[in-house]
Amino acid sequence: MFKRKGFLVSLLILLGILLAACTSEGENDNSDSQNEGADDQEAAEDVEQVLKIANDQEPAGLDPHKTPAHSSVRIYSQVYSGLVTFDENMEVVPDLAEEWNQPDDSTYVFTLREGVQFHNGNEVTAEDVKYSFERILDEETASHIASYFSNVESIEVVGDYEVQFNLSNPDATFLSNLTNASAAIVDQEVVEENGDLQQVAVGTGPFKFEEWVADNRVNLVKNEDYFIEGQPKLDEVIYYTMKEESARLSAIRTGEVDLTTLTAQSADLISNEEEIDVKDYQSLEYSYVGFNVNSEPLDDPKVRQALSLATDRQAITDIVWNGDAVVSGPVAPSMGDWSIDVESHELYQNDIEQAKALLEEAGYADGFDITITTASTYDDMVDTAQLLQQQWEEIGVSAEIKQIEWGEYIDTWSNTSADVLIGRNGSGTDPDRALNYFFHTDGSANVWGFTNSEYDSLVEEGKVTVDQGERQEIYNEAQNLLLDLSPNLFLVSPMKYVAVRDSVVDFVPYPHDGEDIVEVSKQ
Amino acid sequence: MYAYIIRRLLMLVPVLFGVSVVIFFTLRIIPGDVAQTILGTDATKESLAQLRKDFGLDRPVIEQYITWMSGVLMGDFGESMTTGREVLPDILNRFKITFELTILSAILSWIIAIPLGVIAGIKRNTKTDFTVRIVSLLGVSIPNFALATVLILILALTFSYSPPVGYVGFFEDPIRNLQIMLLPSIVLGTAMAGAVMRMTRSSILEILRQDFIRTIRAKGAKERLVIFNHALRNAMIPILTIIGMQIGVLLGGTVIIEQIFSLPGLGQLVLTSINQRDFTVIQGAILFIAFVFVLVNLLVDILYSYLDPRITYK
Repeated sequence: MFKRKGFLVSLLILLGILLAACTSEGENDNSDSQNEGADDQEAAEDVEQVLKIANDQEPAGLDPHKTPAHSSVRIYSQVYSGLVTFDENMEVVPDLAEEWNQPDDSTYVFTLREGVQFHNGNEVTAEDVKYSFERILDEETASHIASYFSNVESIEVVGDYEVQFNLSNPDATFLSNLTNASAAIVDQEVVEENGDLQQVAVGTGPFKFEEWVADNRVNLVKNEDYFIEGQPKLDEVIYYTMKEESARLSAIRTGEVDLTTLTAQSADLISNEEEIDVKDYQSLEYSYVGFNVNSEPLDDPKVRQALSLATDRQAITDIVWNGDAVVSGPVAPSMGDWSIDVESHELYQNDIEQAKALLEEAGYADGFDITITTASTYDDMVDTAQLLQQQWEEIGVSAEIKQIEWGEYIDTWSNTSADVLIGRNGSGTDPDRALNYFFHTDGSANVWGFTNSEYDSLVEEGKVTVDQGERQEIYNEAQNLLLDLSPNLFLVSPMKYVAVRDSVVDFVPYPHDGEDIVEVSKQ
Repeated sequence: MYAYIIRRLLMLVPVLFGVSVVIFFTLRIIPGDVAQTILGTDATKESLAQLRKDFGLDRPVIEQYITWMSGVLMGDFGESMTTGREVLPDILNRFKITFELTILSAILSWIIAIPLGVIAGIKRNTKTDFTVRIVSLLGVSIPNFALATVLILILALTFSYSPPVGYVGFFEDPIRNLQIMLLPSIVLGTAMAGAVMRMTRSSILEILRQDFIRTIRAKGAKERLVIFNHALRNAMIPILTIIGMQIGVLLGGTVIIEQIFSLPGLGQLVLTSINQRDFTVIQGAILFIAFVFVLVNLLVDILYSYLDPRITYK
């Protein structure tokens, strides 16, 4: 008899322990959960102006100064504003700053709009601008964009609405760097209250941050006091974390979400659906083959040139990207006049005979063995590696493919621990980023060990040359030099795809901003 | 009995200690750097160093372990390196969802598997038996992710249906919650059911051959009683073992299913944090999973003695 009782009691205790975890926690976030319920109901009643977006990754945090992850940027860029922004033609236009002028080449004075409020009601003044940039530049913040503003010497508050940036030298990239979503103006009070801004977001943007439920969704609501009259048109935006492409695909098909990004293959699958518009745009990204230029045999430019000649970029476009990509140099073609026409370049001609001749000159007449490292996380990178393996075989280069997981890949990239690495770069919104930052001897993303004094002085000059025409000539020269020396092989720049339901009106993706939703409404 | 349970619970201490050591030091050996993962390619060396310093990653590994462990002993699992959220509440929040998914799929699998397994055992080598065996074999052999993806696609393409997006808790909106949980539960339940069905069938077959069943039948007991009160109860031990294992594994998070159905459960948390090299979250979550696994196994052991009074624990 005791045994059975004993059993029941112990069973209850154990169940109790197991459940304690859930229930105690359940109480903690009960109030939260009720709110969620209410929000969802609200959303259901007012379908028209709620935009549901499928986010392919969980946001990594919401602090604009500390989080470069795309899943975070697409959210906080709606909550914060910067001093200036890009219009649809990638021209710098006012945002929080009404206007600006340059007393001399290395000084910028910005005049702020008056009466703009943070979402908590505090007014935006020159002090906030000074604080935001000092926060970015403060080493303790460990900001990913500190390098963009490293030549800011001091920031002076001239008046309540006037702020002056003193640069150490003229910088042609300064304004376009300011358009970066991470160069956001934040409220000192909020930072001090919360330690950082990873879990809260109080900005001046078109939408206010409401709630973030981990691995589930982020809710933004309309900022009624947004400083641009008539914007935004939506009442609410919800980002659902949906990591699985098939789930995003079925959700956009059935209308559970209104907008999602897609791969080329999936875009093809739903391009015939009546209620869905698939919009494509040329991205600012390009795929590349990175070489460790200090390891044999890749330390010989002739070997790298031979590999470039052996690479059939058109085949990569056709097979890896379904034909929807364009051959690219170090500056993606969507950068317009900044990028040079690479297709006529000698090393882009896929000339096997010449490649073999170059290899022979370099002393590798019989080819060599090499390992191509790629991230298993991205199909396009794996496919690219496989194609290159076949193509290089033709000149006797026998490649082995090594697939590694993303965390290890990042490590491999930053330590240059692979001889040949497949990757994708964002070429930024200014050629300086694509050229200086990835390939200058001291460039913070020059992990390849590439160094060339002629190239260095070209991009240094480009950065301080304010005259556009002159600057373009310098960068053309730099790009050609880079192609000749081939520290990386630049491959192709893919299209990007966004699928939207036909109830979404006025949505236009741009290369520099694939998710501009201030003008969007629903019908 | 109590002494046994207390002894088993005490055994948790060395087990969890072992797990904590293994996971902590493995994480520090594998390649990957949380600072670089967070800051991406834009970061300067100074920013990276600062971030590593903030996380205490610049200190000796032993010191890091002691700091972490002394926190854990006080119930403080630390904060996530990426999101800054507290780790323990985050784990428990996710566990609720994984727990619900596990229980739903387990119940679903029992409802299907045990009766069918019993029937197949009784009607051995008949058409019914063969059908059940084929179905169970399918259940075991079809991979979860394949069934899940196919289900999603078929429902979307033929019925224009997809489960609602955005998880809501059961107590906030039971109907919506069940709509969200139904498909993943079916997928997991099918796989569980296959194994349980096979085990039920073979276990019943074995018991039915035993002497005591003949004695009971000879006494003139009704067949229904013979099967449910005597045979099934005795056949439950191996079935329970398998169920215990399945539940233990599922509670540790069903990574693929949670990912496919966008459920913010424990599996997703572990996967995301591994990809981001978010050490504090991985460590906390693995420790928690080990704890739950041991507890479930203990529960199963205790259930044995309930089903078979001959089993006693001293």
